[in-house]
Amino acid sequence: MLLWTAAIGVLVLLAFFIGYIVYLGAGAISWHFLTAPPNEAKAGGGIGPEIYNSFYILILTLVFTTPIALAGGIFLQEYARPGPFTTAVQFCAESLSTIPSIVLGLFGMILFVNVLGWKFTALGGALTLTILNLPALMRMTQEALTVVPESYREASMALGATKWQTIRRVVLPSAIASLTTGIVLISGRILGETAALIFTAGTSVSVGRSAYDLSPFHTAETLSVHLWYTHSESLIPDAAKVGNGSALVLLAMVLIFNLSARFIGRALSKRFTAA
Amino acid sequence: MLFAASAVVIVAMVAIVGYLAVEGTRLFFADHVSPFTFLFSTDFSPDLRRPGAAVFIVGSLAITLFAVGIGGPFGVAVGVFLSQLAPKRLAEVMRPAIEILVGIPSVVYGWLGLTLLVPFVRTHLGSLTGFGLLTAGVVLAVMILPTVISLSEDALRSVPVAMREGSLALGATRWQTIYRVILPSARSGITVAIILGIARAIGETLAVQMVIGNAAILPKGLASPTASLTTEIITDMASAPTGSVLYHSLFAMAFLLLLVAMGLILAVRVAVRRPA
Repeated sequence: MLLWTAAIGVLVLLAFFIGYIVYLGAGAISWHFLTAPPNEAKAGGGIGPEIYNSFYILILTLVFTTPIALAGGIFLQEYARPGPFTTAVQFCAESLSTIPSIVLGLFGMILFVNVLGWKFTALGGALTLTILNLPALMRMTQEALTVVPESYREASMALGATKWQTIRRVVLPSAIASLTTGIVLISGRILGETAALIFTAGTSVSVGRSAYDLSPFHTAETLSVHLWYTHSESLIPDAAKVGNGSALVLLAMVLIFNLSARFIGRALSKRFTAA
Repeated sequence: MLFAASAVVIVAMVAIVGYLAVEGTRLFFADHVSPFTFLFSTDFSPDLRRPGAAVFIVGSLAITLFAVGIGGPFGVAVGVFLSQLAPKRLAEVMRPAIEILVGIPSVVYGWLGLTLLVPFVRTHLGSLTGFGLLTAGVVLAVMILPTVISLSEDALRSVPVAMREGSLALGATRWQTIYRVILPSARSGITVAIILGIARAIGETLAVQMVIGNAAILPKGLASPTASLTTEIITDMASAPTGSVLYHSLFAMAFLLLLVAMGLILAVRVAVRRPA
């Protein structure tokens, strides 16, 4: 039947994509490629600093996004009454998540690079990604809290717990599985984001200082930006090979995050609901 | 404190709209370019104060239409399958698969398009380069597929079982039930799925930039290089001196994209409110 073909087609497509990226990239992967710094002019560059920057920006973004999204989600779900304020928050969150990431990237460029004068920095990139991912994580928090049965809250309040105690001791632990899944899924998205980073975190690794600079003010080309940059701007002769390898490593990182989100979510929900 | 956290979203949105509105209209107020020139002229020569963006607007519209034309029906079909027909086992495999498709970074889609589709179009469809609307449209169709599938599946799933059973009990076949009962009652949800698919397609940047060819000329055919709003921004921003006409016209394009995104969100609101 037609619909069967369409559905199976999607599975075949996915399998084919992954297979093809592995096929292209496998030859490019080596210890040297994974750890060496990129080369601007000659063949034989690696992606070590790019992998470092990807995770640096990921962690920095999560440090900003998670507390704000959790607090915002808790407020909207547990405290706020429907009214103009919640409507405005909802509308802004929806609009924010529809704005093309390149447009957010330009906003980040004006604010962090030009107005604040930071130039291209990991911090500016991370803050731009925070704006990009905040609405999604806030929404996931809200959804995770909606699923917690009302009777839990009532029982806790009936036992004399305050509202805050109820949230901290009862509601959040029962929502922990879906919250963790949400954060890990968002992490996968942060690792793959590119357009918002090109004009905020830059297209080169730390210049002048160590490529593994700890300061949030270092120029931080991530792996996904590197994949794009290698193709469209750079002049190295082995661009195709570097691109193939980067695509494979990037896909592997994102897949690992996706699959572990599933796994962690299942494990945590078992642990917290069996108790 | 919790209140402040949720207000961050509003502050961010106001700041973004404010900054982009200021930077995005400098072209008209500071450089005195007529909005008509910007919107309708195909002559993109910012150095000569003629920043006509019509080529990029046409490019964006064309690839979006192309993507939604293929990805839309295909996505809804898979949504119907998953919500109505699929055996439980298969659905359990497909849902994570669709989530993984969403998760694949757009540069990786671009890389796939570049290494797979571009050479294919070049050798089999007689195109000179392989870059163009066709390649970009197909890559985008694949990229919006998971969005359309999962949203339309949700919409179809929320149709009450009683309606389906009622239709079947009246003697309708499964196809008739899907066509006459289930699809119409999920209409607003499917509309939302398509609108958000459009939003994703029109805002996508890197995957398109890697395969569209990036030439500021109107496409002569499906397989000749052109450009879109997003790809033009990414191509020229790095070389645009702050405050130049080019810089201002790129920001005007970004502001246009922002307005389109907000328009689509309003469209979603209208679609949701209208009774099915």
